[in-house]
Amino acid sequence: MAIAKTLTREANLRPPEIRFRIWRPGPVLLLVPALAAIAAVSIYPVILGLWLSLRDTTLASPEDTFVGLANYQRILSDSQFWNAWAHTMEFTTASTLLETLIGLVIALILTERFLGRGIVRAAMLVPWAIPTVVTSKMFGWLFDGQNGVVNYLLRSFGLIQHHVNWYGSPDTALWTIVIADVWKTTPFMALLLLAGLQTIPHSLSEAALIDGAGPWQRFWCVRLPLLAPTLLIAAMFRALDAFRIFDLVYVLTGGGPADSTEVLSTMTYKNLFSALQFGYGSALSTVMFVTEILIALGFGIFLLQKFKEIGQ
Amino acid sequence: MHKPAYPHRKAHQSFTPESALDQDLRRDKEDIRANQKPPDGIHRRDFIKRTGLALAGVTAASTLLPSIRRGMAAGANPTEITFASAKFFGKETIAEVVQAYNSSQDKVRVTYKELPPPSSSTEVHQALVQQLARRNGDPDVFTQDVIWIAEFAAAKWALPLDEYFKAGTMKEYFPGVVDACTWQGKLTALPWFVDSGMLYYRKDLLEGLGAKAPETWDQLIDSAKKLTSSDKAKFGFLWQAKQAEVLVCDLVSFIGSNDGSILKSDGKTVSIADDAAIEAVQLMHDFIKKYQISPEDVLSWDEEPSRRPFTAGQAAFLRNWSYVWKVAQNPAESEVVDKVGVVPLPHFPGKKSAACLGGYQYGVNASTKNREAAVEFVRWMSSPETQLRFATQLGLCPTRAAVLDQPQIAQEQPFMQQLKGVFIGAIPRPVTPKYPQVTLVLQSEISRALTTGDVKGALQTAKEKIQAIVKA
Amino acid sequence: MSATPIYQQKPAQGLTFPPFNRVVIYACALFIACWSVGPFLWQMATSLQLDKQLVSGSPTLLPNPLTLDHFINIFVAKSFHRYLLNSVIVAGTTTFLCLLFGAIAAFALARLDIRGRFGILGFVLAVSMFPQIAIVAPLYVLASQFGWLDTYRVLIVVYLALGLPLVIWVLFGYFRTIPQTIDEAARIDGARPLTIFFLITLPMSLPGVVTTGLLCFIAAWNEFMFALAFTSDLNHQTVPVGIANFTDLHYVPWGDIAAASVVVTLPLVVLVLVFERHIIAGLTGGAVKE
Repeated sequence: MAIAKTLTREANLRPPEIRFRIWRPGPVLLLVPALAAIAAVSIYPVILGLWLSLRDTTLASPEDTFVGLANYQRILSDSQFWNAWAHTMEFTTASTLLETLIGLVIALILTERFLGRGIVRAAMLVPWAIPTVVTSKMFGWLFDGQNGVVNYLLRSFGLIQHHVNWYGSPDTALWTIVIADVWKTTPFMALLLLAGLQTIPHSLSEAALIDGAGPWQRFWCVRLPLLAPTLLIAAMFRALDAFRIFDLVYVLTGGGPADSTEVLSTMTYKNLFSALQFGYGSALSTVMFVTEILIALGFGIFLLQKFKEIGQ
Repeated sequence: MHKPAYPHRKAHQSFTPESALDQDLRRDKEDIRANQKPPDGIHRRDFIKRTGLALAGVTAASTLLPSIRRGMAAGANPTEITFASAKFFGKETIAEVVQAYNSSQDKVRVTYKELPPPSSSTEVHQALVQQLARRNGDPDVFTQDVIWIAEFAAAKWALPLDEYFKAGTMKEYFPGVVDACTWQGKLTALPWFVDSGMLYYRKDLLEGLGAKAPETWDQLIDSAKKLTSSDKAKFGFLWQAKQAEVLVCDLVSFIGSNDGSILKSDGKTVSIADDAAIEAVQLMHDFIKKYQISPEDVLSWDEEPSRRPFTAGQAAFLRNWSYVWKVAQNPAESEVVDKVGVVPLPHFPGKKSAACLGGYQYGVNASTKNREAAVEFVRWMSSPETQLRFATQLGLCPTRAAVLDQPQIAQEQPFMQQLKGVFIGAIPRPVTPKYPQVTLVLQSEISRALTTGDVKGALQTAKEKIQAIVKA
Repeated sequence: MSATPIYQQKPAQGLTFPPFNRVVIYACALFIACWSVGPFLWQMATSLQLDKQLVSGSPTLLPNPLTLDHFINIFVAKSFHRYLLNSVIVAGTTTFLCLLFGAIAAFALARLDIRGRFGILGFVLAVSMFPQIAIVAPLYVLASQFGWLDTYRVLIVVYLALGLPLVIWVLFGYFRTIPQTIDEAARIDGARPLTIFFLITLPMSLPGVVTTGLLCFIAAWNEFMFALAFTSDLNHQTVPVGIANFTDLHYVPWGDIAAASVVVTLPLVVLVLVFERHIIAGLTGGAVKE
């Protein structure tokens, strides 16, 4: 008690600015390993990408001229780009929303105690654990229009009359990829939300229950606000990753049929790797980068609000 | 005193006594001859002879000695070259073939650098391009897909090989492959193996119909319709229309079978919107929509998804590469063992069958520092013996017609011998250094044509885009 | 919000629900299990059957005839164990280093007063947002200049850079929700920041650490593009590249690939089962004993 009093007196004597804004070299050192690793891998490629995007470069020919913003102008007027951009935004929104919702439901169920909870938790992780190179081809087989298991099951249950041409039809191809991605990545969200839920003590819900709150109120007013930061961070990472979706699309449909599943990553890949158009490809990457920054900013503003609310 | 005049006369000479003038002349000649002898006793003729010999000796030594020295040093220090190739395998691997080369001689030692497998061909392309663009001679020898040959030649990454492999040598290979290895008149690749599309059909089903293997598209459509309507086969004709490289392969086969082309041989005139091409693409669309002998799913199928229903016995005809034969004969994988036949793809009436040429070929790095060693290695790799080895051990079809006739092939890979006719009719995809961009346009537009049915519109758009690419 | 501070509350036992809710929960749990594991079961069935049955009209879960050929094939003919070993080394090292660097960095950002912490967080996030396909080629050139191609370290460094943003951000979020009073109590006792971190904060946020560690491990385990570009021999190639190597030019040995994916996934699942039971259960709630 005496110690606390002494501390408080001393604390009140120190000017507030120095008390809370001391620049100590010590803490920053703790950041160095992480920042060094990230910077080593990202700085050079990012700067090179930005630099290349201002040039008209292909590896195949010796020409390498500075063209300023011409690549970007070309992008803005390229209908293929807007097509890919639209698909990417559709996919990102659908995939993130579905995964967040389904992940939240899964996490909520798994916080409850029931027999076999551990097994279900482990089972839930399986989609995320299967290598991506396998998942893509596996969905190719599962959703095969003629001999796929999905069509077989749906017809057995009488839900459809004829086989659905999942990948071969421009109308259903993108949604098939959404389903495949949701199956694969929901465990990521569910796991993060589960861990987030577990740091919220049950006693809070208990207290609310005693106060007469129903299950929905308990969730909406007690757990969700505390879960909000984790939810937003997980959703942000998921959105950023979904924006860059590549493997599933490239292996399953190659961007087709008729460019109906072309996303920005596959378009950039084709320009960089296949056509070796380093200038245009780098410009595409930069545009992707800028859009991702905008998405992150959007989430970031929400997050800042939440952190301020928690007020620590 | 003079000696008597006769003793030095030869027997055949006349016996007239020598005049005084003659005697003087003779003595003068003898004196002159005697005076011309240098003191050390070497005759001029001998001098010339000996100098000539000496010079010759020195020249010979100066040319032979380095090689002798190299030869002696080669026992201790062979020339090191690197060989980069996509990872093929079979009963043995490429690494083992290269090892065999290294052990068979000691002048050149080859280090094998493995690139991703050919199923990840974009990655192979990217890896090769990154290495070649640095122009530091590494790798000395590489393998290139047939569609990259023009690109690498125009970028001056591949060494022209005309001075090492003359026309006579090149006659031993399939002419289609040699054409594909040539860019602007210069040979920049040496043939390795060849593959092409072909028509697989169910012998038993056609026998039941009393029909023979179709030669024209109409015959194929006819047989297919008969088989599907009588429920003998679930599908008529399976092929690949996924928006990927394989779509362009199929496209080339169809257009070529109507004597059309995508890009004319000058590399600048775009002919994809010509009538022949329109008719061919319309036929592709009709297979699905009008005649309905191909399921809509072909629009998302590439090689394997289209192969599986066929080997499961569900289809009558299949257009695919040569690998299907081995799979179809494998009882663990196929329900149609011994029921499958192979013929060249059908064609439009009055035209010729066209198959799309595939396969990897050798290239020598233009910046290599060990040109002779690299050429030696490539010559060995492309020799009849090695091609035979690749055929029997890795299942890669040889590019030499003579190798296909070997008894060993008849024994171990009899199927390959049937393919001679197919390979002779193989035509390449559009030959242009800008092929990577052209193929992306083709994939996108043809997929659109087949999905929406707007064949003319899509081909016109394709023509405009390709023109913009190749003219630049 | 409730009146008593969070850290003064005891962890509670599970709430009792009326029977109807329990039925709903069990039904949902069953659905989740089936939905998640269904395709994997199909993979297992495929790995035990002959390839030609892939296209049979009626797929069954228990194949007939059963064959172990695929499993034998991947180990004998394709040396799958080498790829597994490489993957374990790379993914394990990456996860350990990622957690070490990331957790310390997150702690520093969340607990210690650092100017511009959100700027640093933003930087960490931003450089990880550049599309990976655009990064591969320049990094390949760099790696080959340093002679780092075909080594473990090039993969570990790259995966570190890919995984750290997630670890830092998620753990930053967790640490912020843990009350600072315990920290302050420890600081009064004279503890240094790192001691506080290792002895107090880390054990309290174990769910978050284990979760991000697991996600980091799986991401490194499944990464394909960089592994394909940077490694080219059996001594360093990881499992995804190994599986891609099963395919020759066109033919896809689907039974072998299914067997490989079963071999790769099952241990991971068992690992998760073990970890979750022993570490996550029972560690939630307040950490100040009263």
